[in-house]
Amino acid sequence: MRERIRKMRDFFIVRKEHHIFRQTPGNPGLLAADFARHHIPATDRSAMRLLSVLRQETPVLFPEERIVFTRTVRTIPELFTPEETAELKSSYWIHERGDVSNINADYTRLLYMGLVPKKQELEILRERFAASGQEENAHYITLQIQILDGILELTHRYRVLALQQGNEAVAETLSRVPAQPPRNFPEALQMFRILHFVMWCGGNYHNTIGRFDQYMYPYLAKDLEEGLYNEEDALELLEEFFLTFNRDSDLYPGMQQGDNGQSIVLGGRCESGADGFNLLSRLCLQASLELKVIDPKINLRVHSDTPLETYRLGTELTKQGLGFPQYSNDDIVIPGLTNLGYAPADACNYAVAACWEFIIPGTAMDIPNIEALSFAKAVADAVENALEGSDSYDAFYRRVRENIYTQSEELCERVKNVYLYPAPYLSLMMDGCCENARDISLGCRYNNYGIHGTGLSTAADSLAAIRKFVFEEKKVSAAELKKALKQDFSGYEQLCTLLRYEAPKFGNNDDYVDEIASLLLADFAGALKGKKNDRGGIFRAGTGTAMYYLWHTKDLPASPDGRHQGEALGCNYSPSLFSRCKGPVSIIRSFAKPDLKETINGGPLTLELHDTVFRTEESTEKVALLVKSFMDLGGHQLQLNAVNRDTMLDAQKHPEHYRNLIVRVWGWSGYFVELDKEYQDHIIQRMELAM
Amino acid sequence: MTGIIFDHKEFAVFDGPGPRQTVFFKGCPLRCSWCHNPEGLCAHPQLMVSNASCAHCGNCIRICTHETCIACGDCVHVCPLHLRSIAGETVTAGELAGRILKNADYYAAYGGGVTFSGGEPLMQAAFLGEVLRLLPGVHCAVETSGYCQPSLFQEITALLDYVIMDIKLFDETRHRHFTGVSNRLILQNALGLCEGQIPFVIRIPVIPGVNDTDENYRQTAAFLSGARNLVRVEFLPYHKTAGAKYSMAGMEYQPQFDPEGSIHISQEIFGEYGIRSVIL
Repeated sequence: MRERIRKMRDFFIVRKEHHIFRQTPGNPGLLAADFARHHIPATDRSAMRLLSVLRQETPVLFPEERIVFTRTVRTIPELFTPEETAELKSSYWIHERGDVSNINADYTRLLYMGLVPKKQELEILRERFAASGQEENAHYITLQIQILDGILELTHRYRVLALQQGNEAVAETLSRVPAQPPRNFPEALQMFRILHFVMWCGGNYHNTIGRFDQYMYPYLAKDLEEGLYNEEDALELLEEFFLTFNRDSDLYPGMQQGDNGQSIVLGGRCESGADGFNLLSRLCLQASLELKVIDPKINLRVHSDTPLETYRLGTELTKQGLGFPQYSNDDIVIPGLTNLGYAPADACNYAVAACWEFIIPGTAMDIPNIEALSFAKAVADAVENALEGSDSYDAFYRRVRENIYTQSEELCERVKNVYLYPAPYLSLMMDGCCENARDISLGCRYNNYGIHGTGLSTAADSLAAIRKFVFEEKKVSAAELKKALKQDFSGYEQLCTLLRYEAPKFGNNDDYVDEIASLLLADFAGALKGKKNDRGGIFRAGTGTAMYYLWHTKDLPASPDGRHQGEALGCNYSPSLFSRCKGPVSIIRSFAKPDLKETINGGPLTLELHDTVFRTEESTEKVALLVKSFMDLGGHQLQLNAVNRDTMLDAQKHPEHYRNLIVRVWGWSGYFVELDKEYQDHIIQRMELAM
Repeated sequence: MTGIIFDHKEFAVFDGPGPRQTVFFKGCPLRCSWCHNPEGLCAHPQLMVSNASCAHCGNCIRICTHETCIACGDCVHVCPLHLRSIAGETVTAGELAGRILKNADYYAAYGGGVTFSGGEPLMQAAFLGEVLRLLPGVHCAVETSGYCQPSLFQEITALLDYVIMDIKLFDETRHRHFTGVSNRLILQNALGLCEGQIPFVIRIPVIPGVNDTDENYRQTAAFLSGARNLVRVEFLPYHKTAGAKYSMAGMEYQPQFDPEGSIHISQEIFGEYGIRSVIL
């Protein structure tokens, strides 16, 4: 990392000195009250809100900056008053905050064109609409033109400031972009920064950066060919660019700090089938490795032709303990998406949404996290209503399947009548929106809904325990088990221990239980198959849980896998929290068994490896092989953690969440939570020295 | 034929070429005071108890019918927190080979295999030999102290693809003092490796004040110099956490050296003799 970047990182990330330029927080409800008083339509509100934020922004420049635009406005105003919001919620399904989120705008629609040419195109459209008496459409286009003017106006103020401060490079860049299309990589990065900045100003959150290395690479390739600068210079610029994602992120909405959806997708097959991993992909990995900051979060697309070297570069990054890259397997995801009805070219161009969901840039208004099925509840209900009457395990499983179908049916019914807040700015970058003056919030080419699935391992383990102990070994009767669960195992401690520790668990490469998990997923996919939502889209089954796993824990009784009432379900696609798995190879083999093409909404297998396995180059390469092996076996998505000191400290406080946390102590590995505190402290101490 | 193992780990990254599965044989003729696998020392099954999060429910005490522990395992099944286990499982060669073969193709696909460690795997040489004969085509390695009759050592290594062996201390008197046995057989077997056909690695656990001297390194390097199949020397720096499992095994950790002491490693000395080395 060069000195300039080191200083910037220190300034923005460590010392956060730019925060002093932030304006005092505003009243988020003021504008909405005004809107309501004047009965302003929602689309106008959205444009006006964005314009008001852009107008309120005060340009700030920092020493040696080359990529500018820093948020000074803290508060993004609400679109609706609390009364209006309540009314909307009573008549519509409002997803999360209501704003369009979690999609992948096709930034190239503005980036490749420039805002002034885009304005000219819009003006022609507006005339056409006006001429044919489509006043509303013409008005919509006017709003979009006003937004573009607002961006250009703020850019102008930035340029004036740059001239005043003698930052000629910035002034020169801003005299070109975003008005005109960028001529080189530095201009392209500045323009992207502006487009991205504006998106946040408009209240649109969790929208992924997408396949950055694909749409940006032509600029870099051309510059390098022309000899404008070398690779190291490009890396420096890219690092400055990456820092921009971390400057304002504390102002972005999310479940917690860092949950801001700034994910980036690298590599992956091109439409021709060739590997798209290029020089820019590599530089992105390197920039992230050097900066050690949480944004952008890197997703690495891999496939059967991905060289081990790419996995190795990814593993170097995992070693830093930031929890990325997250890998996705093109050979599973692309056919999976194609099976769902995505055009092959679109499927091939998939990106990863804020967290894990697979989405299509520029053409999809999918809501990939709209609801979640509870596998554990499907089992709990079957135990309650059918276990005693079932004369065989198969008969009992049929009831579980029925419950999955019923729950799916209910979920699909429930998510009707979605209302998304209009997003005229995002609509500039989505297919068909300008041409038809149709806001993206109303839908796009794809309007599919994704349903997560929680408690898969709990359900599979519960079913395996029932099959083994109730039906096969008859160690416990149906009535007794039911009673034990009702009493949360009080008076049945011995039974709880048996179920908890001596029943088969998903993640041990044991077909007995792995096949149950596969079946549960297949039934989930089957239950959603053929269902249509009221936007004309379909429903996609997935292996993610998002926050639903916490919500679904709330009403769940004790479960037949020995889980007490109130004990958490596992997050995403992972073994249950207390199942003692034999090791990462068994986990990978188990979790690759289901036909994951069928449940391709997204949701990674999460593996935690102690960071000492990354100690040497040779061992790091073996971790890369472990990742590759999951893909080779048909896995869809994988996220690895190099477990570090913070995890250990948390594990000391909450050992119940870290039963599978393996630490290498010296020449051996052990379960961290089983070590005496003294030794836990030793390891934590060692972590302080680890890098 | 049966043997006793105390662990079977997946995805070992420091136990030979490629990712590996490692089987730990129970029982060791050495008593190194820095040993980090105390449950590998005794050749019989034994009870391991982790006290870190014990809730003192008393289940284990109530079920126990023996005055001294015979590792019957009755208390293991009643612990609600699963804090008890028996280290040491008797398995037949066929059973163990079956377990290894379950994942052998997986490891083979990525250039790995199986490593037999311990304890001292050669303490159960006949059993190990039988297991090895059931694993044709699997890349097999041992991690051994090398303390074994040379004839037996040769018989087993002939069945192996790779050997990882310790030369903990070159000086015989000091070796006897710190490990409880002479290193005569060990050096004799190491010589066999130096003159043999199998790729091998020599490991030095680096123990503060015990063996981390230039003199020890130089003697070891000179001894190994010229061995064609020596892949490299691996230093394993001592960590204070070595004693972590002693209390679980009901033993006391009593190192005969200063565990807080700093350690000295010299890769240069091995370099002088043309020997590659790494620090793990």
